Amino acid sequence: MARQWGMVIDLDRCTGCEACVVACHAENNIDTVGEDQAARGRAKHWIRVERYYEGEYPDIKAKFMPVLCQQCAAAPCEPVCPTFASYHTAEGLNGQIYNRCIGTRYCANACPYTVRFFNWFNPVWDEPLNLQFNPDVSIRSVGMMEKCTFCVQRIKAAEIQAEAEKRPLKDGEFAPACVQTCAPKAMVFGDLNDPTSEVARLARSNRATKLLEETGARPQVTYLKRGSWNGAENAENA
Amino acid sequence: MQKTPEQINEDLLRPLQGTGNVYRVVLAFFVCVVIVAGYAFGHQIDNGIGVAGIRRPVFWGFYITNFVFWIGLSHAGTLISAILRLCNATWRRPVTRCAEVITVFALSIGAAFPVIHLGRPWVAFWLFPYPSERGIWPNIRSPLLWDFFAINTYLMGSVTFLLLPMIPDFALVRDRAVGFRKKIYSALSLGWSGTPKQWHRLETAMHIMAIAVIPVAVSVHSIVSWDFAMAPVPMWHSTIFAPYFVCGAIFSGIAALIIAMALLRKFLHLEEYLLPIHFENLGKLLLVMSLLWVYFVASERLTAWYGNEPAEMTVFWLTQRGSFSPLFWTMVFCNFILPFPILAIKKLRTITGCVIASIGVVIGMWLERFLIIVPSLSRKYLPYSWATSAYRPTWVEITITAGTFAAMVMLYMLFSKFIPIISVWELKAGQHPVAAEEYARFADGQTRLADELERSEAGAE
Amino acid sequence: MAAPDSIYGLFPGPAAADLGLNALRDAGVAREKIVVMSAEPFEEYEFAHMGSSVAMYRIAACGGIAGGALGFLLARFVQTAYPFPLITGGMPLVAPWPTGIVTYELTMLSAIVTTVITLLITTGLPNWRKGKIYDDEVSSGMVLIGIVDPSVGARADLEDRLRRAGAAKIKGTGRFARGG
Repeated sequence: MARQWGMVIDLDRCTGCEACVVACHAENNIDTVGEDQAARGRAKHWIRVERYYEGEYPDIKAKFMPVLCQQCAAAPCEPVCPTFASYHTAEGLNGQIYNRCIGTRYCANACPYTVRFFNWFNPVWDEPLNLQFNPDVSIRSVGMMEKCTFCVQRIKAAEIQAEAEKRPLKDGEFAPACVQTCAPKAMVFGDLNDPTSEVARLARSNRATKLLEETGARPQVTYLKRGSWNGAENAENA
Repeated sequence: MQKTPEQINEDLLRPLQGTGNVYRVVLAFFVCVVIVAGYAFGHQIDNGIGVAGIRRPVFWGFYITNFVFWIGLSHAGTLISAILRLCNATWRRPVTRCAEVITVFALSIGAAFPVIHLGRPWVAFWLFPYPSERGIWPNIRSPLLWDFFAINTYLMGSVTFLLLPMIPDFALVRDRAVGFRKKIYSALSLGWSGTPKQWHRLETAMHIMAIAVIPVAVSVHSIVSWDFAMAPVPMWHSTIFAPYFVCGAIFSGIAALIIAMALLRKFLHLEEYLLPIHFENLGKLLLVMSLLWVYFVASERLTAWYGNEPAEMTVFWLTQRGSFSPLFWTMVFCNFILPFPILAIKKLRTITGCVIASIGVVIGMWLERFLIIVPSLSRKYLPYSWATSAYRPTWVEITITAGTFAAMVMLYMLFSKFIPIISVWELKAGQHPVAAEEYARFADGQTRLADELERSEAGAE
Repeated sequence: MAAPDSIYGLFPGPAAADLGLNALRDAGVAREKIVVMSAEPFEEYEFAHMGSSVAMYRIAACGGIAGGALGFLLARFVQTAYPFPLITGGMPLVAPWPTGIVTYELTMLSAIVTTVITLLITTGLPNWRKGKIYDDEVSSGMVLIGIVDPSVGARADLEDRLRRAGAAKIKGTGRFARGG
């Protein structure tokens, strides 16, 4: 059966430390746009930790939810791209072809999760960050759309390695940068179509939920709802 | 009030015969604005589209507003001209070319915006289905590709709808011109001589075009509306968008036509051709479209409000009570509260009244396009990603917007200098006296002439 | 290229032009040799019906259908072209609605283009040959009724008939060219 890459994020374990955000920047050659541009809403974070406050001081609770491209099976961003820059791969990823993008930004409007980011200018890295590029990931120039790819360069590298060694891919053999970096191990990555994989097992959990499922996009990222700190099933904290 | 063909020729060809200094100065001003807008666009290509004000999540702003606005405006001409032609409405004759010119120029301007708003306009030609070396074709599942086909079809249809009836008028100017101008107009008139076969074919072709262009016009703005309706964005994903946009397009188009006609009437001294009755009739159409527009807006907002879906209600209240409410209520004022009494009360439905109402409608419809696009994008599904600082256009967007209005006026002014803005032959054809009267009148003349000839022959013998 | 021979009269109005036409027909001139020119289409008068009809509506419809078929094939091809049949949004490879829209637009486009081409071909435009039969006064409202390639002997008779019918001026081209 063909692979369907997916992810499970345990919201109970997420501390909101945003190490995943930094790791993603490092792995995927994402530039920081600068204070001025960020204030104008043009920051690029392929994975971001959404933080919502509840309650009034001193009973404030903060809720964290890492949001990244959900690699939807019926992605609304795919049919609207006029040049096929956004399409669905055979392994269940939403592929973004940078050099095919002409920059209509329709896909970003169509995405209900707002996980797509646009290069408003040619990227600039302050020294010495310009020495830190990952050679496996292309640098996007002005006018292109970019988004989380589940670190497709790592997926491809692992697949090529496994094929060269004439063996199947093992579950957990590699992971995207965010999953690798997550200290509380809140994120799990793998093949959803492999029933023995960790991610498929967790996706069947009774805490499993998906974000904005009602839009019909069929996202491949499953979130595990929060429980309470003392283990009691408390719907209020979910 | 019948005019002789010579009088009509003289009146309608007068603008082609000379230019005054006022004309030159005004034209130069608009040309300057267009040049500045061109510079702004060059600046944008050079530095990146980030010089515009658009941002995440409001990825579409002024440029797409302008795109929809100008494509909508273009529905005036061809639609009005075609519908009136098919209904045999005789009052359409002086109005058709003014309207068709608006269509062609507004379409051309509107069609420029999908290129202007691109992040990489230099590869815009990838939208065209051509066999590329990479074997990849454009994605026709995208509403933007439907735009491509629809707008090109409509442009083709409008241009032919404009150019075909211009052929006899080119012939007219050719007959009056001398030297180099005569050569150009001879070429443009394709050697037209006015035989019955040519007239019959031309009128049949116009009739076929009128039938063909109406469904195309309806499809074009439906498809433009589907640029929005096909995306799962709150308050965009609504089935009402296609007829809503078509209605809005015709609405803004008629308003633009009234303004254009009023200006032509004043500056080209066409008071005896563009009569108050024309403005009255167009004013009544504008009234109907205003009511229809209110109907569509009310239907859409009522169903959204009654459905009480959280994401939609956020956008709903944002436009009605929130930060966009000044623009929203200005739009309602301009599109309904101002035009309705002016156009409904016969005493107020003068040329001036119609023009005031139309200016309001043009402003209101531009605001409507803006308010469809920006508030919905500012408040999508995930509140963390809402636009915390509002979308603000930069000088680049404002300049290019101003440049398009200037381009429209500039193109219109140039057109009216080289081609009669009222279709001369159609006007003459509409003034035919009843055949029987003509015969009766002429029979007298004939008998007199025959008597004269006999007398002269008898005298010669 | 030399102008064809003709004799014609310029009539001050459509009713007069009809009388001129009748005068020529009474003289036994064949229908194909009568030339009529006017600055506007005079549908109510007989002289305006001196032409055969062409099934322009049917040609336009056929052109539209042909264009629609081509549009359908284009749409299907573009979505399935080897080696990149790309799936987007969970939609089928040949999505019916977009295929329908592209087909529809190309149908209308080719109907329009077919009409224009039919018009140009059947009217013989563009006709930029020098020395056609034409008179600038036609655009002032005169109707030109004349005979193409008349015999020299019939000249006086034809001119007389035209004058009796009410021609304001009698002129000619080619061999018969002279001032009014």
